[in-house]
Amino acid sequence: MELLRQAPSRNPKEVLTFALLVLLGAVTLLTTLGVVLSLLGDVVEFFRRVPLTEFLFAPEWTPLFAEPRYGIAPLIAGTLLVTAIALTVAIPLGLALAIYISELAPHRVRARVMGILELFEGIPTVVLGYFALLTVTPFLQKFIPGLQIFNPLSAGLVMGFAIIPYVSNVAADAMQSVPRAIREAAYALGARPYEVALRVVFPAAISGIIAAIILATSRAIGETMIVAIAAGQRPTLTLDPRETIATMTSFIVQAATGDQPAGSTASLALFAVGATLFLMTLGLNILAQYVVERYRERYE
Amino acid sequence: MSEPLLSKTQGGDPWKARIDRVFARALVLPLFLALALLSWLLLDTLYRSFSVQVVRSDVGLSQTFPLGTAWQEALKAALLQEGYTEEEAEAMLKDPKELRALLNQNRVELMWNTHEGPLRYVVTGSYDERVLDLPLLQGLRRWEELKAGLGEGERLVLNPWLDQTFLTRFPSRNPLIAGIGVAVVGTVWVLTLALLIAIPVGVGTAILLEEYLREGRLNRILEVNLRNLAGVPSIVYGLLGLAFFVREMGLGPTVLAAALTLALLGIPVITVTAREALRAVPESQRQAAFALGATRRQVVFRVVLPAALPGVVTGVILSAARLIGEAAPLLLVGAAAYVPFYPSGPLSEYTVIPVQIYLWVSQPQPEFARVAAAGILVMLLVLSGLYLAALYLRNRFRREW
Amino acid sequence: MKLEILQNHETVRTAPVPEAEALVDVRHLNLFYGEKQALFDISVRFPKKQVTAIIGPSGCGKSTLLRSLNRMNDLIPGVRVTGEVLYEGVNIYDPRVDPVAVRRHIGMVFQKPNPFPKTIFENVAFGLRLMGVKGSELEDRVVAALKRAALWEEVREVFKKQSGLRLSGGQQQRLCIARAIAVEPPLLLMDEPTSALDPIATQAIEDLILELKSRYTVIIVTHNMQQAARVSDRTLFMHLGVLVEEGPTEEIFTKPKHPYTEAYITGRFG
Repeated sequence: MELLRQAPSRNPKEVLTFALLVLLGAVTLLTTLGVVLSLLGDVVEFFRRVPLTEFLFAPEWTPLFAEPRYGIAPLIAGTLLVTAIALTVAIPLGLALAIYISELAPHRVRARVMGILELFEGIPTVVLGYFALLTVTPFLQKFIPGLQIFNPLSAGLVMGFAIIPYVSNVAADAMQSVPRAIREAAYALGARPYEVALRVVFPAAISGIIAAIILATSRAIGETMIVAIAAGQRPTLTLDPRETIATMTSFIVQAATGDQPAGSTASLALFAVGATLFLMTLGLNILAQYVVERYRERYE
Repeated sequence: MSEPLLSKTQGGDPWKARIDRVFARALVLPLFLALALLSWLLLDTLYRSFSVQVVRSDVGLSQTFPLGTAWQEALKAALLQEGYTEEEAEAMLKDPKELRALLNQNRVELMWNTHEGPLRYVVTGSYDERVLDLPLLQGLRRWEELKAGLGEGERLVLNPWLDQTFLTRFPSRNPLIAGIGVAVVGTVWVLTLALLIAIPVGVGTAILLEEYLREGRLNRILEVNLRNLAGVPSIVYGLLGLAFFVREMGLGPTVLAAALTLALLGIPVITVTAREALRAVPESQRQAAFALGATRRQVVFRVVLPAALPGVVTGVILSAARLIGEAAPLLLVGAAAYVPFYPSGPLSEYTVIPVQIYLWVSQPQPEFARVAAAGILVMLLVLSGLYLAALYLRNRFRREW
Repeated sequence: MKLEILQNHETVRTAPVPEAEALVDVRHLNLFYGEKQALFDISVRFPKKQVTAIIGPSGCGKSTLLRSLNRMNDLIPGVRVTGEVLYEGVNIYDPRVDPVAVRRHIGMVFQKPNPFPKTIFENVAFGLRLMGVKGSELEDRVVAALKRAALWEEVREVFKKQSGLRLSGGQQQRLCIARAIAVEPPLLLMDEPTSALDPIATQAIEDLILELKSRYTVIIVTHNMQQAARVSDRTLFMHLGVLVEEGPTEEIFTKPKHPYTEAYITGRFG
């Protein structure tokens, strides 16, 4: 009978299509491989010339001096300083918005708020860096004595606002996935909306909220243009947010736009710092995923 | 008789009711703060893109030209001032090569106000010097005083830095004649090539994960991988591009290397949005197609993908908007500082808008801040256009399943 | 209602369909979703050019049985099937048979109308295009299908331009029927086709079914007993994955033989 003879799914087009799609999917895997490999070669070469102990523990990063020192501490300190300032802004504001979006906003308002946040995500960081350097810094200099033209404070503040959407989106998602039943139980016991939000939903979604914070930290660490423009490119080991510093990312930009010959240690340092940056952000991302997996309440 | 029901619904505690109202308002505060900051940014940029200047022309040409003057006339006047004869000037204007060189070094610009009256053209030469540059309000207040104090070969102008010549001119060491034209063309080149690669890979991966391999080992590997890639800072993609495309593959600082780097950056984003679009197509559509005897390929390409197309296109537009703003990875791959020519092909040197802005911001001369402001306005306009297009698409093709 | 007793049950049959008159012959069909068994040893024959209804309480497996007849259950991961389903004499579960080919010979209409977001024409033409039909033959067959689905008069002006989604619920369902019958499948499966429609649209579909049976064999799953009584020639009653009783519709509804059947018909459960 006909049925036995027809076999449309065995048409070679089917297999070819599937194979093509797998190939395209494999590109993403190759990308990851590429990231790792591209860093590897130069990093290995760098560490042949510069001992790991110096890299990790020396307090100076001066690749262009006659006697260059390659201690990454100042760069990390700079990065963390800016990040800390940014998070001080982004976390409270982002979480506040997240609670609002998830618990208190009427439906139509919610869509518009999320739209505005999406708008924020879309602002190019070059523009924000320009704003930090040319507008925020002069403004702050009126109130803060000793504030340098390039400083981590302005950069951190502006970055903080830029990161708010990342905090609020992930945190709002986490809070919205807390089942209605739990909220309703709390309301039924006579709790007011703000009590339900703070004492019931927030703790219930805490793993997602922590993940949001970790992810925001990762973003802040990897952010480049705002710091390259406004925070400075002078590696300094300091906790004072008024002093000019350099971050890992601002150094990478500086090194790439400078004219170091390709094989020199100074230009290899570029990749060493890049590798450090990559490891840090990767570590944080994996941590965030782990937190969500391990501590998520199962509401079956 | 116990208290009426009405007061009981106040929660019994007037304090708590008050807290609720304050609470809701406090939570929205960040949004208004952020919007305020954004407005500050926009207004400040807009303001900075205008200035009142006293400019000394290197050939002593302080003459302005009325509206309606052909730009050739204005250029000729400049040439005559420089010492060329009528015939020589005419000849230079007719010869395309000479003309191009002339236009590189000089701009005919419309100034909103000058010492000879409003809305007049001036010729700005590459050796012109800015004597004084004042913010808008300050300059307007001192206008008469400045006009009276003009010296030989000097002109007083109200200069809108964002104007037509800015859009078409090359970058320059002199902020007065710097333009963003090259960067715009570079962005178009790089973005187009990048999308040509990123769209098939991104949409293909999305189809693979949503239609063919909804679960299983390969699915999990790809998903974890995608999630990690999305979290990698964009500058690391720049490092990858530098090490692999620029050096290893020997492409050098060209459009192609930038496009490949940007494509890799864009793939995770496009994949996510494409997946959402595919997921929005209800399962019943696929069931109907399968029941009619379609193979999986036919179900995907004849039913699901066409139905998801508006969503996919919207996602692509939004991804393109994000990619346009990326400076860090392209700085690493060699979007060069000074590119005084339009890129001629994929193997040409280039620059892109955000990189150009960065380089302007990094210049010491204060006018470059104004040039940067003009550039930012251009970029924001382009992005707004894209967002509006995406919004329009989203609303027009919203389906009621 | 003890489950173990039911599972070892021998189907009660009245006037069973002889092999020669059967379009579909199900033999000892068992179906498992992973570890969970959903169909228990189902054997039944569906007669040609007649309407057979499958009734039973929710969860009894009637949709599962229906979808086994065109191998739609294959699309669910983890599904396992034993037994045979003979369609025009061929076991569709034979490993050499391509499920896609099976579905091209059998039409299906779903509970909620699901036209494609394409024009009315393109909806009906979909199955035909899969078969490679083109040009004027394509157009003729589309029109024919729309006529047989009693939709032609209402859409003849606009069918090439208007989207299928702009039709009313009842019209959409008739469009889905037209789409299913365009390829002239000998068998048409209908899974609660009117449960999402208003009474007037329901009536129109039921009338349509009675017309269709002159050309197609129809198997319809319904939770509405009155519908089964109005429309079908034979009825199957299922409960908890077991085929409890089958027979001519009139017999089932006036003289059910099994106590469960009677209990369901009289509304004591379900």
